[in-house]
Amino acid sequence: MLGVARRMLRRADLAEDAVQDCFVLLWRKCSQFDARQGQAKAWIYTILRNRCLTLLRNGDREIALDEDKAEKASDEAILEVAYNRLERTNDLRICLETLDPNKRMAILSSYILGYSHGEIAGRMGAPLGSVKAWVRRGLLMLRECLA
Amino acid sequence: MTDRSLHERIDEVVVGLASEAEVAEIEALCAADPDVASQLERARRRYVALDYTADNLPLPSDLWTRIEASLDSEQERQVEADTSAEIIPLTPRNTQGRWRAAAFGSAIAAAVLAVALGFSLAMAPEPTVIAVLLDSKGQPIAVVEGAENNQTLITLLENTRVPANSVMQVWTKPDENGPPVSLGLLAAARSRTLTATGLPPPRAEQLYEITFEPTGGSPTNLPTGPILGKGFAKEPVY
Repeated sequence: MLGVARRMLRRADLAEDAVQDCFVLLWRKCSQFDARQGQAKAWIYTILRNRCLTLLRNGDREIALDEDKAEKASDEAILEVAYNRLERTNDLRICLETLDPNKRMAILSSYILGYSHGEIAGRMGAPLGSVKAWVRRGLLMLRECLA
Repeated sequence: MTDRSLHERIDEVVVGLASEAEVAEIEALCAADPDVASQLERARRRYVALDYTADNLPLPSDLWTRIEASLDSEQERQVEADTSAEIIPLTPRNTQGRWRAAAFGSAIAAAVLAVALGFSLAMAPEPTVIAVLLDSKGQPIAVVEGAENNQTLITLLENTRVPANSVMQVWTKPDENGPPVSLGLLAAARSRTLTATGLPPPRAEQLYEITFEPTGGSPTNLPTGPILGKGFAKEPVY
């Protein structure tokens, strides 16, 4: 769990805060969890990632970026490690492989690094409109591929 | 924005691209409509494998103390709120907390532990049987690794040419004298994991076989097409 938060927040202290908040939220929301409907693990990660996104969107991103140098790993390196860790036979990996690199990169940047459309555009040096189109088509292709 | 498909909006919530207002809107839709809720759940499952790729970092030892502290302060706030409203509780205040604790203590706690401790085990159960499938010329064409729960990893050893309008179908014979049972289809002629339910755990000498079948799988639910390869399982030595 800490690894997921660390990847998004790029700072050990913020990541620990996010995991702590996540546990408190789990405690508060546990009555909402419908075991018939969902997989508990996916639910827990959703709460954790939402908490990280809130921390990022609330302006802590600036602090996190300052510390980027301390964390060393570049965006590309983090995304590449994540992608390579997906098992070759994993359906998501098989489907991601069929996407062109721009679409794949845009979707992984949002899911793993918590980037917004604007941040993806800035990082990839691409117009916002193109990024939005890549994401939209990429998500559609993944949805069809994984159906 | 209402012309965008619900699928797209759900996906954006899952990958983290939706605004807070949009997330709230989708959550409200889910609460009102179980169909939407299960669509969201399916979308989450499509991507959750990416969360498993994060480093498995140990939680700091003081984390539980910190969590406890924030839960305590939260409860105190609740007590204060109750007092200010001058409502006399009919049941001891602790009861509710205890129920919540009990609810939390079961399913979720198990899952939290599984997540916190890492679950590479759950992801890729160790194979209890392994079979090498051979073609009619005795050449190995695939390795089959079957786990206790019949999660079966099929690794193809060469690029197989699948005839047009055909798929590869994987079969096994859980009962030596019974009929072959389908484990699933390999539509893309690629290595992948198949999950079959309701079968006994695989055993040594169990037959595994891949055949070519019409798109969608064998119409009779028994092998009908040419055999790509077959082999008998062995138990690996650990």
